[in-house]
Parts: sequence; structure tokens; C-alpha cells
Amino acid sequence: MTETDPQVAKSPEVALAVRNLNFYYGENHALHDISIDFPARRVTAMIGPSGCGKSTLLRVFNRMYDLYPGQRATGEVIFDGRNVLERDLDLNILRARVGMVFQKPTPFPMSIYDNIAFGVRLHEKLNKAEMDARVQDVLTRVALWNEVRDRLHAPASGLSGGQQQRLCIARSIATRPEVLLLDEPTSALDPISTARIEELLDELKEEFTIAIVTHNMQQAARCADQVAFFYMGRLIEVDSADRMFTNPKQQQTQDYITGRFG
Amino acid sequence: MADRSHIVKSYEQELGQLRSMMAQMGGIVENQVALALSAIADRNEEAADAAARQDPEVDQLEREVESLAIRLLALRSPMAGDLREIVAALKITGDLERIGDYASSIARRSLRIRMPENQISLSGLRSMGRLVQENLRRSIDAITQQDSNRAMEVWHSDRAVDEYYTALFRELVTYMMEDARNIRACTELLFIAKNLERIGDHATNIAERVFYAVTGDNLPSLRPRGAPASALTVAETMQEPDVR
Repeated sequence: MTETDPQVAKSPEVALAVRNLNFYYGENHALHDISIDFPARRVTAMIGPSGCGKSTLLRVFNRMYDLYPGQRATGEVIFDGRNVLERDLDLNILRARVGMVFQKPTPFPMSIYDNIAFGVRLHEKLNKAEMDARVQDVLTRVALWNEVRDRLHAPASGLSGGQQQRLCIARSIATRPEVLLLDEPTSALDPISTARIEELLDELKEEFTIAIVTHNMQQAARCADQVAFFYMGRLIEVDSADRMFTNPKQQQTQDYITGRFG
Repeated sequence: MADRSHIVKSYEQELGQLRSMMAQMGGIVENQVALALSAIADRNEEAADAAARQDPEVDQLEREVESLAIRLLALRSPMAGDLREIVAALKITGDLERIGDYASSIARRSLRIRMPENQISLSGLRSMGRLVQENLRRSIDAITQQDSNRAMEVWHSDRAVDEYYTALFRELVTYMMEDARNIRACTELLFIAKNLERIGDHATNIAERVFYAVTGDNLPSLRPRGAPASALTVAETMQEPDVR
């Protein structure tokens, strides 16, 4: 019989440790000296008005910004003992280990099956049976298997918005990442599909560290263990969801979450 | 917090409405207690009637506060300070309603006291009444001004109310032992003292809830207490007969 050490339960290991991170879009200083821990196998929600830097932070974690000239980051993002910002880091491996899901579902213009198999093939050599098993496994975990099992080779574009988003989540966990980044994953979905995704997050966090950007305060309150509030490129406050929404310490946080900002 | 308005004006208006209903309810209850105390002190039957007559209005306001608070919770998904204020209002309205009940109970009871000639001093009861009234006034000010310092004052002062009650209890028991003809009146006065003590407790509850709503922190669960007389335990187990 094992007992959970209460200390461990209170302070789980840190999956991503951000230290003194600064980010620039050319001349524009978008993130100012951010330091924050993302606990492993917990959901951290990032909230704040548009342009506050929360999506930028997400894009740093898998070096998305590398695709654009003029964008640069300084500081440290420690993931598995290494600084993600190091120049010689293998980005393909990083992006397989840090998956990302966007606001609008972005299925590839291919079959449901291939949407999942595509990324897996880049990183692993699996035979047909293994690949079939992987596809079934991830589709089951996002609760899509029963809905699509008979049309795996039909185009993914034929799925509803909610189904497409779950497919995208399945695709990003198929490469077995450790961290899952979600940028407003339900803002284009109806309440039922949203509830399905939120339920999914609850299950996925047993295995993955999840960082979610959301404009929906109730969603952050429902899903997140930890909530971080950003404003004008600065981290204003980070605390448990419980404390953040009942008793935030900073006036700016209070104003934002109660709808008094302006 | 208080001087910052919501972006959504109708939300701000509804919160304002909730606050003004609480203030109104507090005002009526405060008045009920004042009338009840005057009913005892001045043998004022009119005041006693007036105190009892306000009960339905208080009950009605309690229901209105409840339904507005539930509406706000359902439709506005309040957060942080707003959430605390609305939940506190839900509970405070219950405390105010109980205070109103105790006040009219005191008023009705005052009509039934047949005071023996010049034997019983009411000065202790008057002093206790003044203190309870003062605490109630401060706790209602704390609600309307969202003032945690005011709330804290009431919280600390509850101890003095308890001490008055203990002293009064002893005094009334002494009167009863002196002369059996005092028993009837003193029993009524004891119940009145107990009701006043309960009003003080509810005022303290209100203070605690205001303190939480304003600061987000809870006051310690143990209130400062006066040293209880051994006789007090008897008083606390006494069942009050229905005077309606």
C-alpha cells in the first residue's frame, strides 16, 4: 500500500519553469520578465485581456516564434532539465513533446486516420497494426472513437466543429507529448462540445501538463488547478483557481475577473 | 472596490439594488429593536405593536433579497469581491430576519409583564439594550459602507454583551429568590435578556460576514467570550415558550 506524501501532493514537480522571460516582436517588448512554474500533470489557465501576452507565452513553449523573423526571447524556460530557448535544441523533438491545439480546429486536409498517423510517422516507425492501435487509442481517449470508427478514412473536414477540435487534441497527444498547450480551444465551440473538451482536459491532466489560454473566466474556474493573470505583458498574479476567483490579492486581477476593467 | 463600476451597467444596477435592499432591511430591523426596547423601558404599548407590525415587511424583504441574490448568481456568474458580497448578503438577510423576530418577540413579551411595585430595577436591561442596539447599528453601518473595521468593532464587543447577560441573569435570579411574587415578571425579563443576547449574536454574525465579504478572510472561528457564570448554562438550556 502506498501513501501519498502530503508535501508531494501540495507541491508537485514542475514541468515547465519559466525564469525571467522577456519576449520581443521586433521592437515591441511583449513579455516583461515573466517567472512562473507550470506544475506537472496540472492544468494552468492563463487569463487576461487581448494582447496581454498569454498566447505569446504559449508560443514560446514550443518555439512557434522561431517561424517568424524578428521575434526573439530571452531568459529561461526549463523543460526536462534544458532551456527550451537554446539555439541548438531540436525543434522537431521539442514540438513532439510539447503539443499545441489552436482556437479554431485545424484538421489537415486528409482522412481522420491520417490526421493522427501523420505526426506519429514523423517521429516513430510503427507497423500497420501498431498504428491502427495508436489511432484507436487516442480517438478513444478524446471520446471520438465511437463517432468515427466507421469512417476513419473519410475526410476530417466532414466532422463537426467540436469533433474536429477533439480530433486535433487526439492528433496532438498521438505523439505522446508531456505538455499540451491549448490556445482558446473551445472559443469556437457550442456549450456541449465545450463541456466535452473540458471533461477531456480533466482526464488528460492525469498524464499531461496542460497550459490553456482562455477568455472564458468560468472555464478557467472549472478546469484549472492554477490560474495566472497577465496584463500588458506582465504576470500580475498566479494562484490556485479557488483563491484566484474568490479572493485575488491584486486589485487589477479583481477588476478584470469581476468585469470592471476599462 | 466600492468606487469601481462594472462595464455592464445593468449588473452594477442590480448590485446597487441588492445593497439598497439590505440597507432598507437593516433600517427596519434597527427600528424594530429600538421600538422593542422602548416598549420595555417606557411601558409603551404603541411601540410594542409597531415593532411587531413590521415583521411581515422584513420577511418580504428577506425573500426579495434571496431571489435577487440567486438571480445574480445564476445570470452574472459573479467573481471575487462580487461573489463574496452576494453570498454574504444571502446569509446576512437571514440574520436580519432573525433579529426582527427577536425584536417583535421582546415587544410582545413586554406587554405581558406585570411589574411588581418598585422592586425590580430595569437599568441593567436598559444598558444591555443600548449596547446591543449600538452593535446592531455598527454592523448595519458595516454592511452599507462595506467597512471591515466597523465589523471588527462589533465582533470584539460581543463579549461585553455576553457579560451583561450573565450579570443580568444573576440579578434577576436574586430578585426571584428574594420574593416569589417577582418570579413571573423576572422570568419574562430573563427571556427578554436572552433575546437581546441572541440579537447581539446575530449582529456579530453579520459583522463576520461583512468582514469576509470585504477582505476575503475569515475572522477566527472562536469569538472573544465573556466569562460565563455557572448559572448561565441553566439559562442557555432554558426553552422559551412561544409567546405568539
